[in-house]
Amino acid sequence: MPQFFLNKRLIFLLISIIILVALIGFSLRDREELTVPEQFLKDTTGWIQNVFAKPQSYVSGIFGDLKDLQNTYSENKELKSRLDEMAKLEADVQQLTKENDELREILDKKETLRDYSPIQATVIGRNPDRWHELLIINKGKVNGIKANMAVVTANGLIGKVKSTQQFTSTVQLLSALDPTNRISAEIQGKEAGKESFYGTIEGYDEERELLKLKRIPFDAKIEKGQNVITSGLGGIFPEGLPIGKVVDVEPDEFGLNQTAYVKPGANFYDIRNVMVVKREMAQPDLSDMIDDEEEEL
Amino acid sequence: MKKILLPLLFIFIFIFESIFVQSLPAEVFHGERILVPHFLIIAILFLTLYGDSKQGILYGLSFGLLFDVVYTEVLGIYLFLFPLIAYICAKIMRILQTNIVVVSIISLLGVALLELGVYEMNFLINKTDMSFSFYAQYRLLPTLILNLTFIILFSYPLKRLSEKYVAYLNKEK
Repeated sequence: MPQFFLNKRLIFLLISIIILVALIGFSLRDREELTVPEQFLKDTTGWIQNVFAKPQSYVSGIFGDLKDLQNTYSENKELKSRLDEMAKLEADVQQLTKENDELREILDKKETLRDYSPIQATVIGRNPDRWHELLIINKGKVNGIKANMAVVTANGLIGKVKSTQQFTSTVQLLSALDPTNRISAEIQGKEAGKESFYGTIEGYDEERELLKLKRIPFDAKIEKGQNVITSGLGGIFPEGLPIGKVVDVEPDEFGLNQTAYVKPGANFYDIRNVMVVKREMAQPDLSDMIDDEEEEL
Repeated sequence: MKKILLPLLFIFIFIFESIFVQSLPAEVFHGERILVPHFLIIAILFLTLYGDSKQGILYGLSFGLLFDVVYTEVLGIYLFLFPLIAYICAKIMRILQTNIVVVSIISLLGVALLELGVYEMNFLINKTDMSFSFYAQYRLLPTLILNLTFIILFSYPLKRLSEKYVAYLNKEK
C-alpha cells in the first residue's frame, strides 16, 4: 500500500485531476467577465484570425457565387413573381410606418421595445469541437458590444453575446445547450388581428435540429407555419426580431403547457456577417423587479 | 528560422481548425453527420512519437490551454486531455515499432480517445444531452473518417518536420 502512494505518476495524475475539476468548476460558474489573461489570449488569437478571415471569406465567396450561378434561372423566375407583391407591400409598409409615427406623436410615446441600433460584425472564428456552439466576431468592447446582446443575421436571430473582450467577442448560438439561454418569444397570429401567444425558447433538439418553444398556454391554438419573433419582454432583446416558423406542436409532459418546435429562420452553419443588436430602451434593473420586502423580515 | 517553424505551424493548424469548420459547405454540415477536425492532436501526436515525447506533452499542454480559452471557454478539458493522450500514446509506442503506418494508426486511436473523452466530460457537465448511440453513429464515425483522411494526406510531411525539429533541438544542446 505505501508503495502505491509513492508512485510518482499516480500522484501526479491525481493532482492533475483535482486541478481539472477545479478549473472546470471555476469556468462553469456564472462568470460576469472572463479573467484578464483569458481576454488577452482571445484578443491576440483574434488578431491572427482576423488576418486569415479575409482571404478565407474571399475564397469561399467565389465558391458561393459559383453555386448561386447554377440556380440563377429558377431563382429569377420565382423572384419576378414576387416582385409584384413587393411593390404593394412596400407602399403599405410606408403608409403604416408614417401612420404609426403620427399616432405615436399624438400619444407622446417616443420609445418602444422595437427600437434598436445595429452593430455590423464579421465572423472570424468558430469553435471547431462543435460541442459548445460558439462564434468569434471581430467587434468588442471598443465598439460598444456588451454581454447578452442579441445577435442576428439577415434571416433571423442566431444567438447572444456570451462574453466580450476589447477587440473581439464570443457569440453563443441558439443551438447551444445552455439552461440559462432563455428567450421570451411571441407566436404571431396567422392573420392580422388574431391573438398571439407567448412562450420562452428553451433548448434545442439536436436530432431534429429544431428549437423548443415551451410554456405556451394549453388552450392556445397554434398551427404549422406561424411566425415566431422575440417579444422583448425578457428585458434584454428588442421586440420583433424574427426567430423562425412553427413546425410542430406537442402538449408537454404534464399537459399543463404546450411545446412548439420551431424551425430557425437563420442557418446556424453558414454564418459570415452578423449584426449585434443594441436595445435602445433601458433595461429593467434586476433589483427593481425583485421584491426586497423579504429582506426586511 | 528553424526554431520558430514548428510553433508557427502549430498556430496555423490551431487557426485552421476553426477556418475548416467555418468554410465546410453547409450541406455537409446540415446533413445529420457532424464532422469535427482534430488536426491539432494529430500534429501533437506526430511530434510526440517521431520527435521528443517531452516536447510533445509540452505542446499538448500549451495548445490545450489555448484551445480551452479561445474556443470553448470551459477551462481544463483540452488542457488535461491533450497531454494525457500524448503520454498514453508515447507509452504504447514503447512496445511497438516506429513506422509510419503504426504511428498513423496510433494517432487515429488518439483522436478517438480525445473525442470520447470530450464527449464524456461534456456529458458530465451537462453541455450535451446526445445519446451515446446517436453520438457514435453520427459524430464519432464521420469524425474518425475525416481525421483519417487528414492523417493519410499529411503523415509524411508531419513526420519529416517533427524529425527535423528534434534533430535541430539536439544540435542546439
